[in-house]
Amino acid sequence: MSIHILPAEVASQIAAGEVVERPASVVKELVENSLDAGASSITISIEGAGQRLVEVIDDGCGIPAEELALAVERHATSKLSQAADLFNIQTLGFRGEALASIGSVSNLTLVSRTAHSQVGAKLRMEGGQLLNLQPAGAPPGTTVRVEALFYNVPARLKFLKSEATERRLIDNLVVRYALAYPNVRFQLMQDKRPALQTSGRGERREILVALYGAEAARQMLEVNSIDGEMRISGFISPPSLTRSHRRDIFFYVNRRPVQDGALSAALLKGYHTLLMVGRYPLGAIFIEMPPDAVDVNVHPTKAEVRFRQPEQVFAALQSAVRRALLAHSPAPGLNISLHWGSGEQRPSSFTGHFDPSWPSMEKFPPQEASVEAQDANPPISASPPARASSQPGLPDQRVPLLRPVGQIAAAYLAAEGPDGLYLIDQHAAHERVLFERFLAQRSSGIPSQALLQPAAVHLSAAEARLLADQLPTLASLGFQVEPFGPGVFLVRAIPALLANSNPEDALRVLVENFEEDETPLQALQEERIIARVCKRAAVKAGAILSMEEQRALLFDLEACQSPRTCPHGRPTMIHLSVDLLERQFGRKGAR
Amino acid sequence: MRVSVLQENLARGLSIVSRAVSPRSTLPVLANVLVATDEGRLRLSATNLELGITCWIGAKIQDEGSTTVPARTFSDLVATLPGGNQVEMSLTVRTQTLNVRCGASNTDLKCIDAQEFPPMPVSDVSQGLELNVMDFKEMIQQVVFAASTDDARPILTGVLVTVKGDTITLAAADGFRLSVRKARLSSPVARPLSAVIPARALSELARIASDGDKTLTMITPPGRAQVIFRVGDVELVSQLIDGMFPDYEQIIPRRCDTRAVLSTSAFLKACKQAEIFAREGSHIAKLNIQPGGELKPGVVEITGQSEETGSNQNIVDANIEGPGLLIAFNVRFLREVLDVIRTPNVALETTANNLPGVIRPVESQDDQSEFLHVIMPMHLGS
Repeated sequence: MSIHILPAEVASQIAAGEVVERPASVVKELVENSLDAGASSITISIEGAGQRLVEVIDDGCGIPAEELALAVERHATSKLSQAADLFNIQTLGFRGEALASIGSVSNLTLVSRTAHSQVGAKLRMEGGQLLNLQPAGAPPGTTVRVEALFYNVPARLKFLKSEATERRLIDNLVVRYALAYPNVRFQLMQDKRPALQTSGRGERREILVALYGAEAARQMLEVNSIDGEMRISGFISPPSLTRSHRRDIFFYVNRRPVQDGALSAALLKGYHTLLMVGRYPLGAIFIEMPPDAVDVNVHPTKAEVRFRQPEQVFAALQSAVRRALLAHSPAPGLNISLHWGSGEQRPSSFTGHFDPSWPSMEKFPPQEASVEAQDANPPISASPPARASSQPGLPDQRVPLLRPVGQIAAAYLAAEGPDGLYLIDQHAAHERVLFERFLAQRSSGIPSQALLQPAAVHLSAAEARLLADQLPTLASLGFQVEPFGPGVFLVRAIPALLANSNPEDALRVLVENFEEDETPLQALQEERIIARVCKRAAVKAGAILSMEEQRALLFDLEACQSPRTCPHGRPTMIHLSVDLLERQFGRKGAR
Repeated sequence: MRVSVLQENLARGLSIVSRAVSPRSTLPVLANVLVATDEGRLRLSATNLELGITCWIGAKIQDEGSTTVPARTFSDLVATLPGGNQVEMSLTVRTQTLNVRCGASNTDLKCIDAQEFPPMPVSDVSQGLELNVMDFKEMIQQVVFAASTDDARPILTGVLVTVKGDTITLAAADGFRLSVRKARLSSPVARPLSAVIPARALSELARIASDGDKTLTMITPPGRAQVIFRVGDVELVSQLIDGMFPDYEQIIPRRCDTRAVLSTSAFLKACKQAEIFAREGSHIAKLNIQPGGELKPGVVEITGQSEETGSNQNIVDANIEGPGLLIAFNVRFLREVLDVIRTPNVALETTANNLPGVIRPVESQDDQSEFLHVIMPMHLGS
């Protein structure tokens, strides 16, 4: 077997594999080109899930006739001219590979006219071979038709997923771009049926409906924060709205959709203690920063980016998320709206909520509007969406003054607030109270109470090693623990807050804690320890509380920063508004 | 059963025994009071299976018999019957209905058969240990508050009672403090005794034992994990707590470096004020013990503070031997122990801010100290 240089078309087919791996990548490249061309309207037509046809029509700047042939050459681009530009990329594309790659694996037709030329031009290419180039009449802008995709790459064809999957990928992709460019009118047709239509009026929330479904979109909280040259905006779900996966978290860096595990980790950290284990929020976060602070030339599809100062970005994201959550974190309403699903409540609250953009909602086909609605049963807030548009920076999620009414099943407290009935989980609430007390005391030093008799705790070798590593952390939390022979530790003092609990148990809980989740992050670790300790120390369900104790617990809860969830993210309270009660009793509204 | 009793006697008897009633029990009969004729008197009993109280009251008995009456209903009824009158009670056994007549009042009460009531132990008073009611009440009050209320360590919810030679000792601890009170018996006992009695039972005993009674008898029937107290015509039975009480002797510091003698009332007042502020936080109060010089007396400065409410400082004059010390205690613990000290002066013995403090009443010369209280200090984390 002799070594030889590959023929040009083989080489370009190989290269095409990097950029164009499925119909959705074609759509991505073409939509990016249209956006870079400054289009204000983009119409995408898909047939046969993109294998038969992908057509993208835009009203952008167009390509002059004389440059049309060049456009389909490899490494030909108008977006970059010298290497230094790579560090200051303002456009979505820049590699000059897309059209050439697409052209080499399909039949490509390119029609374009610039605004100031009288006549446009039309280029046709089959499997990478330029067939003809002729003047043609066309509206200003560019039309790209990609037919018979992968006709000459059967291997690629074989690895495509089902048509439904490919169609869904295209839908999701276009929605994501639409969200990033709310001022561009997107129209997506799948097999001649409209799949997405945006108004181009700059209203992002209307596009969220297509992304997350109407109900989820309505609940999404706005994030908005500026940190130096960096601006973080977008939407995140309230803690009550979660998914079992991270697929509904989207990030955009300078309006470019990116995937970054570290970014989603930072987002999750913003939700710290508000989410249950194994639940993930929804989110569409836009990070805008100077182009030179981020490197997008990491991967051919540009799905990955590298930040020059990643820590700064993550910290800014985390605090922006946290602020938005603190500013708005209502008690989850009771999920009983289904009983009167046909009533007026839901639609009226919708239109009341985002009037300006709402009419376009009707244009979405219903199956598109509820993309994920059935997936996770988001708890539907029965109370009107009072504060959905949050005011960032104003942490106003404290509970109102509550009057204890009584205890239910020795586990829940019923309390009256100015806006209805609150049901409170006594264990979760006490956990939250203890947790915040710990955190509050941490700054000034956590008081510890010495034990009359040191308690000896016997541990396995592995547990003992874990504990030995954490002694300084424990000391700062008020645990005075010292090694006392192999596998034995003496507890001499425990945090004063835990004075009612068994010291041996408290320590054992901590060792179990270390085993379960080992995080390298010290701060997080410490908070987890605190959370775990508080869980152990909090009053249990089944404990009968006197009226005085109930009042004290409610009083303490009112003083909390985030009283609505326990440190592990379970809700501490359910709110039944007076309005809801009136409806339930048939006093008001449709039955 | 047909009996007649004076309203006052019945009301008093019911109020004594109803403390042992457990209204929320799964066993309905435990919400009732046993009413039975017993050798010419009427016996009232209530129990929650851990604690039982029996009271005998004088009665005119026409027919013997017994039943159990709903405690709450019966007590409320009897309390409103006219005083000075005889209450006539007659039971219809077939329907277990108790007819109660008094003056113009006529009531039928639904009862539960006395067969269902748990048997109450029979005591032999002659075997018991005689104690002075007043003294024993004070002993109880000086230790019970230190017992734990947390069921996680049941042994600490009890009070260790030891009798050896001519000394009786009560000790209670909750993991952070220890209260020990000793007393001399009038005559030495032949058989030493050691039992852990639930603190709640002792509190009830202290409540029941009225000042009019002179002696109290404590009986520990051999082979049964029970203790019976007999005071006047009332008997209180409690289950003992099983297990080993911690060896408290080794916890009591043998020596101290700093000994401060303060006025009990001034110290208590300062602690009460500090607690108002400290209760918002972790009940932490700082004690700055400053020995005096040639001209100025020594003082103890007591500080309580919280981020929300502010801070409070009190200076109490003290007679201090030894070096100065800054030490922190749970102010509730301080207040609770000072509350039960009867002497005008109290001594606070300390050595270091991480070693236990001891509080003792300062007795007059001839009477040696029989009470001591150990409190573990608190630390403010770094």
